[in-house]
Amino acid sequence: MPTVSPSCPPFREEEALMGTPLRLVAALAAAAACVAALAGCGASSSGTTAASGTTSAMATPAGTAPATGAAFPVTVKAGNGDVTLKSYPTRIVSLAPTATEDLYAVGAGSQVVAVDQDSDYPDGVPKTSLSGLTPNIEAIARYNPSLVIASQDSGGLVAGMTKLGIPVLIEPAAASIAAAYAQILQVGQATGHADKAVSVVAGMERQIAGYVKQAGASHQDLTYYWELSANPFYSAASSTFIGQVVGLFGLKNIADEADKASDGGYPELSQEYIVTAKPQIIFLADNQAADGGQTPAIVANRPGWSGIPAVQNHEVVGLNDDIASRWGPRLPQLVGEIAQAVEQASK
Amino acid sequence: MSRRTALGAAAAFLVVAMLTASFVGAADLNPLATAAALVDRAAPFLHLPTSLGSLDQAVLFQIRLPRVVLGALVGGLLALAGAGYQGVFRNPLVDSGMLGASAGAGLGATLAIVYLGGAGPRAVPVAAFAGSLTGVLVAYATGAAASRRTVLGDGVATLLLAGIAVGSFLTAAQTFVLQRSASDVQAVYSWLLGSLSAASWQQVITILPYAAVSTVVLLLHGRHLDVLAVGDEEATALGLRPGRTRAIVVTASALAAASAVAVSGLIGFVGIVIPHVARRIAGPAYTSVLPLSLLIGAGFLVLADTLARTVLSPAELPIGVVTAFVGAPAFVWMLRGTGPVGT
Amino acid sequence: MTDLAAVGVTVTLDRAPVLNDVSCAVAGGGWLALIGPNGAGKSTLLRAMAGLIPYDGTITLDAADATTLKGKQRARVLAYVPQEPTLPPDLTVEQYVMLGRTPHLGYLATPGRQDRERVRAAMARLDVTSFAGRRLARLSGGERQRAVLARALAGEPRALLLDEPTSMLDVGHEQQVLELVDELRRDTGLTVVSTLHDLTVAGQYADALVMLDGGGVVAAGTPSAVLTAPLIESVYAARVHVIGGSDGHPVVAPVRGPPHGLHEQS
Repeated sequence: MPTVSPSCPPFREEEALMGTPLRLVAALAAAAACVAALAGCGASSSGTTAASGTTSAMATPAGTAPATGAAFPVTVKAGNGDVTLKSYPTRIVSLAPTATEDLYAVGAGSQVVAVDQDSDYPDGVPKTSLSGLTPNIEAIARYNPSLVIASQDSGGLVAGMTKLGIPVLIEPAAASIAAAYAQILQVGQATGHADKAVSVVAGMERQIAGYVKQAGASHQDLTYYWELSANPFYSAASSTFIGQVVGLFGLKNIADEADKASDGGYPELSQEYIVTAKPQIIFLADNQAADGGQTPAIVANRPGWSGIPAVQNHEVVGLNDDIASRWGPRLPQLVGEIAQAVEQASK
Repeated sequence: MSRRTALGAAAAFLVVAMLTASFVGAADLNPLATAAALVDRAAPFLHLPTSLGSLDQAVLFQIRLPRVVLGALVGGLLALAGAGYQGVFRNPLVDSGMLGASAGAGLGATLAIVYLGGAGPRAVPVAAFAGSLTGVLVAYATGAAASRRTVLGDGVATLLLAGIAVGSFLTAAQTFVLQRSASDVQAVYSWLLGSLSAASWQQVITILPYAAVSTVVLLLHGRHLDVLAVGDEEATALGLRPGRTRAIVVTASALAAASAVAVSGLIGFVGIVIPHVARRIAGPAYTSVLPLSLLIGAGFLVLADTLARTVLSPAELPIGVVTAFVGAPAFVWMLRGTGPVGT
Repeated sequence: MTDLAAVGVTVTLDRAPVLNDVSCAVAGGGWLALIGPNGAGKSTLLRAMAGLIPYDGTITLDAADATTLKGKQRARVLAYVPQEPTLPPDLTVEQYVMLGRTPHLGYLATPGRQDRERVRAAMARLDVTSFAGRRLARLSGGERQRAVLARALAGEPRALLLDEPTSMLDVGHEQQVLELVDELRRDTGLTVVSTLHDLTVAGQYADALVMLDGGGVVAAGTPSAVLTAPLIESVYAARVHVIGGSDGHPVVAPVRGPPHGLHEQS
């Protein structure tokens, strides 16, 4: 390198600039070579990861395979089409609160190794920081699952799991009560608890039928408003899952008039309309602190709402927001709360 | 159009808008009964009988009227703040959300919704207000510090760039917070789209002091903004202190915008376009543009909100959608007119 | 009738010295013209006098240090017209001239009857009344310059600082404007300090010239004393012929030398 005198700074800068690109190119070429090598390694080994999970290297206790050998392999018809499980899944990851509840209800709790951050029922589920709404493929893969259940295919979940050879069940938000039952059955089949699932569903049907019989199914004279959020006021029309549940009792939903095809059943209502529609029952799905804190007391104090029959007759019902937003085994509980309100209002 | 005529016409526009809004709504109140109820409330000594039931009266006086009044306040404040910023920056493409005001409000509201869900309804306006003012403070401080080191044009450009930088940062922070809690996405986006659906007299009373102070301060500085229009150097030669004028107008505009945004969420388009409309009507002097923007902005938002709550009745449209859909074509139509658009 | 004096003024901009120990003075009602080649520091000196840039040294107005005057007080005494004034395109002439009343308006005050009268008088003086309602963007170069001067006069200043006030004007309009300034000077005792690039014109209207070069004063005095061929040729590196001067106002004519390469014949 030629010596440069300090009095010639321009020359030195120029030389430095010329040197850097060469080194930069060399570094980039080396990096590219490494990446190519890794890609080659990766391509050849994908597809060999078995769905059995018996080669798990993690120390967490996983479920042991029962003696019912005839249950597997099984093909389940889920939201993402037909999914085949080759053998009993001993390491299940759940990425949806409803799916978690389904799993534990059918008796597959001991096979569950991880649930997402929003799953909180039943008590003691192995909650992690996994997200069902923005899943991280690698983070899920770390649990070496033999089955993944989620409520939506976001972030390329299905594609990513397929590349790793892990079966995924997508159990989306149920559009009807029958669909909710079907999901529980699917979960049971996929986890080797098909019989238990059948009995769970039967129990739910019985309980719900009992509530409907007691409170009555033809309350067309009663109108209700189901509040999902306030400011703006989002409601659920009778075409939604929730609307169908309440519809078991024959109530009329004030949001139906406002529901246009584009809302998908969840119109934004004007306050004036809600008040003048004079609903006799108001169901609050946003009354818990984390969901908006719209307690019955706060609702009753809203300016202009004091004239609504539901407010005057104390028929503003704060529901368990979690149960009201899920479609799992606790559905009868929701139906029970609704039934109670209906009975009270029809007195 | 002379200043006096323009102001008179704008005031009339506002009154008509507010009256129209009072008679229209999803509740389908009988117009005559409504009129009687309004007159009776305004002039109780007349003892006018009204056929409005108590529920309907509650709808009119507790739900509809506060919404009309709040709409006027918010629209006026946003337009005024936009005009103030445009005067300070000598740039017609400046909005009331500049200098991190919108981004700061968005971040504040997001933090409140995500981390304070239950205190949410009460906390969100306060957080948005604080966030908005903080955003402007940070942007202004950054811009002022930077312009001491560099000289970009006349220092105003530096301030604008600082505002963009701070705004981008705050928006990025907001996005980060939001994606950590995807379940709050709908609530946050609803707020971002703007809404007057929970308007109440309580909200009106809450923002009234800030609205009054910022409005008075801004209206009193119209002449100063006009002097500022000839550039910092000439303005100084005329005896004005450009730096101090800028600080006062920015503060007042920030206060106006923050109060509006706190109760209504982010309603776009009003702050940038209404001052232009005012200019087209009465010329570029801020002694006219400021009061005119206040009146026209108020009337415009009242009408936009009326549309938002009646066009798909009984469902509602987010008001930000209406202001954009209605205002943008109207603005293009105005631009077609003769003459250049000045600052 | 305000005396204006600069003593030992030094200005450094961007770490480069622009003015170095410059001193000059003009008595009340006099006209001082600053001349010199491009970049000599003429505009800078004017801006220092207007109080728009920081400087070392002293500038006095009526023997009082200018820095003791607050912005508005100084603005009432001095009116500064920059070389390229900013003209908001949609402002009318009348609104623009009204801006000149700013030094006389209280903080929250709005223009009153007296202000409107002064504006009308200034506009009449500068003969811009006929287009008082026209927007600045619609004016010709000459009309614009007159509007700018009207704004300066509307403030009833005691001294005018003009930076190249006629650079955009044709010879007719230039004479018109300078005559007007001279008339004002004689009628009201206005003190004028201006930079003028045209040496002849500078010599015709100013009582005293100060020639700057490279940030320093190279000559000061009456036009006849300053406008000499050897001085101009050495400072401007130009060839000139100085004609006349017996009436105190020499004419400086640029002269084209022999074509490049041939020796000069003296």
